[in-house]
Amino acid sequence: MANKIIFENQQDKRINLADQNYITASCKIENGLVEKDGRNLFTHAGDVGSLLLAAYQHFRLSYPKFHKMDRLSKLGWLATEVLLMDSFEQGKYEPEDISVILANASSSLDDDLKYYDSVAEAASPSLFVYTLPNIVIGEICIRNHFKGEQAFFIQGNFQSEFIQQQAAYLLANNCTKCCVCGWVDILGEEYKCVLFLVEKIKKGNAALFSAVNMDEIFNSTAK
Amino acid sequence: MGTEVYIAGVGVISAIGNDVAEHLDSFEQEIAGMGDITQLETIHRQKLPVAEVKLTNEQLVKMTGLPAHVSRTALLSLVAAKEALADAAIPAMEQWRTGFISANTVSGMDKTEGFFVPFLADDNKGRLRYVFDHECGSMTEIVADELGITDVITTISTACSSSANAIAYGARLIRNGQIDIAVAGGTDALSKFTLNGFNTLMILDKEYCRPFDEHRAGLNMGEGAGYLVLISEKVAAVLGKAPYCKLAGYTNSNDAFHQTASSPDGTGSYLAMTGALQKSGLDASDIDYINLHGTGTPNNDSSEGTAISRIFGPLYPPMSSTKSYTGHTLGASGGIEAVFSVLSIKHGIIYPNLRFETPMADLPLIPQTKFLKGQKIDHVMSNSFGFGGNCTSLIFSRT
Repeated sequence: MANKIIFENQQDKRINLADQNYITASCKIENGLVEKDGRNLFTHAGDVGSLLLAAYQHFRLSYPKFHKMDRLSKLGWLATEVLLMDSFEQGKYEPEDISVILANASSSLDDDLKYYDSVAEAASPSLFVYTLPNIVIGEICIRNHFKGEQAFFIQGNFQSEFIQQQAAYLLANNCTKCCVCGWVDILGEEYKCVLFLVEKIKKGNAALFSAVNMDEIFNSTAK
Repeated sequence: MGTEVYIAGVGVISAIGNDVAEHLDSFEQEIAGMGDITQLETIHRQKLPVAEVKLTNEQLVKMTGLPAHVSRTALLSLVAAKEALADAAIPAMEQWRTGFISANTVSGMDKTEGFFVPFLADDNKGRLRYVFDHECGSMTEIVADELGITDVITTISTACSSSANAIAYGARLIRNGQIDIAVAGGTDALSKFTLNGFNTLMILDKEYCRPFDEHRAGLNMGEGAGYLVLISEKVAAVLGKAPYCKLAGYTNSNDAFHQTASSPDGTGSYLAMTGALQKSGLDASDIDYINLHGTGTPNNDSSEGTAISRIFGPLYPPMSSTKSYTGHTLGASGGIEAVFSVLSIKHGIIYPNLRFETPMADLPLIPQTKFLKGQKIDHVMSNSFGFGGNCTSLIFSRT
């Protein structure tokens, strides 16, 4: 009985994960800096909460729901705004063709702890609805009308090879034509967000979408 | 594409009965399943009504023969899945490829919660076997083993539309020739996490819930399990009896609006209902009864009602929320209400929407309030809408 079922993928064409995809934009928020494509766009000296608000104001963003989000969602949402700003021709893609793959180490713990503290007084519904890490993906997708594949992974540290494989698989299978992927992590005053816009077309001096290039961007310091 | 998908068997357990016959009896006598909390250890006892299955874990263990440490979620699942398979009575079942597609949202969390009490006091304490089945797939595997199903075993967890999606997925596997039989539906037991979570969201009614009523104040949590046995045309040909009906259409959509709320205009539910109608080749006017999602929360009922008025107005079929009997059984609700929808066609039943008094101010919708049987019912729509905007509608049709 057990061997009677053959799913398509197992008998089908081999998947070439080495198909060429490119990092057509990147955004990093770390150490009070907001960078796009390796260039520093904004610096702020305050704590992470004030950084997020100051950056929101600096980039003249207007999205009232931002103020209701937990800090993980604010961080990922803000980085996506900067990532897509001026460099993304969304009209080229169907909503179903744009995917989001994110990972972090702290899950939604930053908000979970605040929710836990709120329970002593009165459990807060607005904190409760953010006690899942993948809500940040929902906020990004609702904002940008992305309707493609989505996944959120919790890993001890940024695993470029893993994220690259996940995205490359979707791109190679035509499950997606464009992917926002990367790392968004926050717990207390420790935070880091690095996002990559990955497309099948080479633009300007876009880097090849490889684990090595992802690591280089992830670990680089702003010029 | 592919074969028709017929329903050969049904099985259900909830606060209003431990099997199909007890459910039909409770419906006819208009006896709701809510009451004070008696099984779940919680600070909300005597404060929040819930719809508990009227059996202790010990009684369920005895009924099922499963080990005593198994989660209530799996115990409920096995009771209903076994009933559905016995009801289907498929001859020489081992010659077919069979899938078990089971949904849930809480899995073994009831046991995990028990583990944490001693563990938090002393991290050398707490039995790890109570954490072992924490993830959703565990429930499905435990029950599949008991049922002897090995060909396809999978778990779907999409909040309150979970088991409607399990049924749709089971049907797709059959239509695509991957399997011949699917036991599809879902299960969920009450847990502290879900009760406290819904309480945090301020959507629990302290009274018995009043779906689609202007003065509705939230839902009541429920628990249970419901399964259909879906079969292909080939299996139907050797069944030795007429199947109940067929699954004529199904559609899953998403609101993309909010983590826990539906959009005010019911975009997701509108897309689910219209998609299911289209797939079944039916017009809105063909539907003879709508089993509403109808949780009793202000948000769901106005959103669902708005979508229904856009699709069905101005001539509405009879409609009701059976959650007025069973409470909201979360991941099990789509499976449980699919069983009710199939029985509606089989026995010509329209279920009452208990405690309905005042129509919603801005919507012209009056649910059915009295139990009716012997009606001519050919097409039933069953709605299941979940957190995350995940909306599913199923349509069952007489064959």
